[in-house]
Amino acid sequence: MNYAKLLAAGALSVLAAACSQPDTAAGAGSEQADTPRVVNVYSARHYRSDAAIYAAFTEQTGIEVNLIEASGDQLIERVRADGPRSPADVIITVDAARLHRAEEAGLFAQSDFAEFTPEIADNLIDPDGYWIAIAKRARVLAYSNQRVQPDEVTTYEDLADPRWEGRICVRESGNAYNQSLLASMVARLGEEEAEAWAAGIVANMARPPQGGDITQIIGVAAGDCDIAITNHYYYLLMQNSGEAANRAAAEAVTLFFPNQETSGAHVNISGAGIAVNAPHPEEARELIAFFLSDEAQRMFAEMTNEIPVVEGVEWENERLDAVMPFVADTRNVSELGDHNATAQRIFDRVGWQ
Amino acid sequence: MTPAARQGGRLPDRATALAILAALVCAAPVFAVAWIAVTGETGDYLAHLARTRLPVYLVNSALVAAIAAGGAGLIGTVLGWLVARTEFPGRALFSWVLILPLAVPAYVAAYAWLDLSQAGGPLHAATAGLFPTVRGAWGAGLMFALVLYPYVYLLARDTFTGQSADAYNAARTLGAGPFSAFARTSLPMARPALAAGLALVIMESLADYGTVSYLGAPTLSIGLVRAWSGAGSLVDAARLSLILVAVALIVFGLERAQRSRARSHAASGRHRPAPRFHLSRTQGLAAALACLIPLALGLIVPLARLGWLALNEQPAPNLLPASWHSLTLAAISAVLAAGLGLSTAYALRGRTFIATASARAAGLGYAVPGAVAAVGVIAILSGTQALIDPAWQSVTGEVFPVLLTGAAAALIFAYLSRFAAAAIGPSEAALARVTPALDGAARTLGATRGETVRRVHWPLIAAGITSAGLLVFVEVLKELPATMILRPFNYDTLAIIAHNYASDERLGEAALPSLLIPLVALLPMIFVARYLSRARSSSGQV
Repeated sequence: MNYAKLLAAGALSVLAAACSQPDTAAGAGSEQADTPRVVNVYSARHYRSDAAIYAAFTEQTGIEVNLIEASGDQLIERVRADGPRSPADVIITVDAARLHRAEEAGLFAQSDFAEFTPEIADNLIDPDGYWIAIAKRARVLAYSNQRVQPDEVTTYEDLADPRWEGRICVRESGNAYNQSLLASMVARLGEEEAEAWAAGIVANMARPPQGGDITQIIGVAAGDCDIAITNHYYYLLMQNSGEAANRAAAEAVTLFFPNQETSGAHVNISGAGIAVNAPHPEEARELIAFFLSDEAQRMFAEMTNEIPVVEGVEWENERLDAVMPFVADTRNVSELGDHNATAQRIFDRVGWQ
Repeated sequence: MTPAARQGGRLPDRATALAILAALVCAAPVFAVAWIAVTGETGDYLAHLARTRLPVYLVNSALVAAIAAGGAGLIGTVLGWLVARTEFPGRALFSWVLILPLAVPAYVAAYAWLDLSQAGGPLHAATAGLFPTVRGAWGAGLMFALVLYPYVYLLARDTFTGQSADAYNAARTLGAGPFSAFARTSLPMARPALAAGLALVIMESLADYGTVSYLGAPTLSIGLVRAWSGAGSLVDAARLSLILVAVALIVFGLERAQRSRARSHAASGRHRPAPRFHLSRTQGLAAALACLIPLALGLIVPLARLGWLALNEQPAPNLLPASWHSLTLAAISAVLAAGLGLSTAYALRGRTFIATASARAAGLGYAVPGAVAAVGVIAILSGTQALIDPAWQSVTGEVFPVLLTGAAAALIFAYLSRFAAAAIGPSEAALARVTPALDGAARTLGATRGETVRRVHWPLIAAGITSAGLLVFVEVLKELPATMILRPFNYDTLAIIAHNYASDERLGEAALPSLLIPLVALLPMIFVARYLSRARSSSGQV
């Protein structure tokens, strides 16, 4: 049996992983001078650029970053189940509602985030001090240059008007960004009006939801629909795509930030909080402070086309410049979490697939 | 092999007990999920769901599962028969390569096919819109049929290969045409294996989340994920997953009914491989084409599309360590699963209630969507840690450290618990070929039980057991939710890297890791193919 050698090698590798884990992660409660400093990060972000940000952090502070990436709900469940023994120091999500959920589950410690930088708007920090935004994404519209006049497009609310019947492309409602958009409508307009709006969107859909945000933009370019709801960075990603068809599709549509004269465009966040049982709270603070540094904020803008949360940061990204600045909704993003469950039920009731 | 398997000769007692224990350990996470479902607080979300989306979820689930099972059953049976019973150009190569689509995660195929066929996509443009967009329940069902047919194919191939030619030849002598003879003799005898394969296809398509959400075919698993992520109720998610467990019980029950009915059909265990037909030149090319089509649709087209997109992207970093992680995790799980499958199959031979019940319970992990199954694993492991706490605290004054969750061992536990069905079903189907009469004959000739197992059983079941291991190997390679949540720090696998890019709509960057998954899957297939061909040539003397 020649399995033996391969198996032995495999078993060793897994054993090594199994055994090394507690040393680096959990057993490091007591800091000695010669033990390397580490911070354990549970992140729902999974962008290649994050690796660059962590590398820059390690270079600057000497703190090693241990990373687990999974969906927000899964991370919450793992931290919750591990309880006091959880090695998590920093928990990062890509959606305000998930931060809210982690806060409700009692996973975060309160912190003086407002002190981290004076250049961040109050509405991007949890009022109770459990978490802080580190980057923003706007949920906006993309319309056809051929079939839509620029002055036709105004607000999210207007999309429910019957003149958009059969002209809207949007993805399924299980998507967190759609849920937060509707949650923001609930916050602004109340549940009843938000439900009427969602029903109007369903009535105006050009096709049943399919694919992601890029699929919707391509749908507009190809003529399946006239206007799409999308996060702003997918459009910028397409503009810079290596695939000619994606660049052409981006050329055929215009990115539009709605509600500029009313409530402002809906903005969701990537945010972070410090775990209540963090074995390395000091390192966790340093990491979050680094996320808010000019260097990291600039990397968000340049590498993932996300919008910095810190005012006055400079970056080099012509495509992002082209859509900036814009008027954003000034409600506290924590409200997106407050109304997430309501939004989801509205989606179910109006049959938004 | 596990001790239980090796000591097959001394079976009933201790070895059976071990097999039963292993099966129960594998079933524990499902019981944990059931516990969460039963003891959790009751909100009004389920009532809300029943009033709104539940009917849609149920209809879509039924459609998707039916299309997946129909498609996979047809493709798998036809190809399995062609490869096992006929000779045509490229047969030896197809015999193994046809398994590879299983290594393509269904959601990867879905991303690629929607990208190709959507309005504005190349297929849509090239056919002036005639090619339909791959979406909805039929699109999702088709995706599952294309990437899951290897379950049926693999089991069908092994069964048709092992079938005695006697019945078929008798039918031919009595004037039946080759296809009629196939339908009336070979097919009924292969029914247990086909049923085992189909059961896996149905369970996996019902438990899937990524494919159905992307293609817009909301099934029950979507409702379940929403109960969790939207309403924040893990309890309700667990309750909905119990519906899937119930469906699994029914499906596996039907499968068992098939098996017991087929018992009378089972041929003598005499290993007289049927000679393969030599097809005419045209027929041979048609057969090769029949193999090529599903291979193209399930493997080549989606990966080629991603590969094309990848040409414009930088390759993702860290692919080498991720490949190694994927390979080792899959290899260890596969060997353990094959051992589990074999020992459980032997335990099932005893036909005791407890053996049957524990084997069925172990199989249920497959019915629960991966994300929820992972929660079951977490619950078991963290519960164990909490149990140790008091004793640990009295000695050290601190809580028990995180040893169980967050270690690669937790992953392997999760895989075994999730994929035990893929190991047990095929093993059982393989052992079904060994009739009690065969044991009697061997014992009469003076063989000990150990010798009987080694020299009589093993040559007959080796292909089936290794197939079981192979299925688990490939499943683990592409497994996502449990891997994501249970893995140690800084521990990527190919499936995770592929998913991270694909879910962010960066299909080009998802291409390379997606391509590597089938490539890694090829390694054990070559290995197993060589082992089996050696085993087959030596078993000729039995």
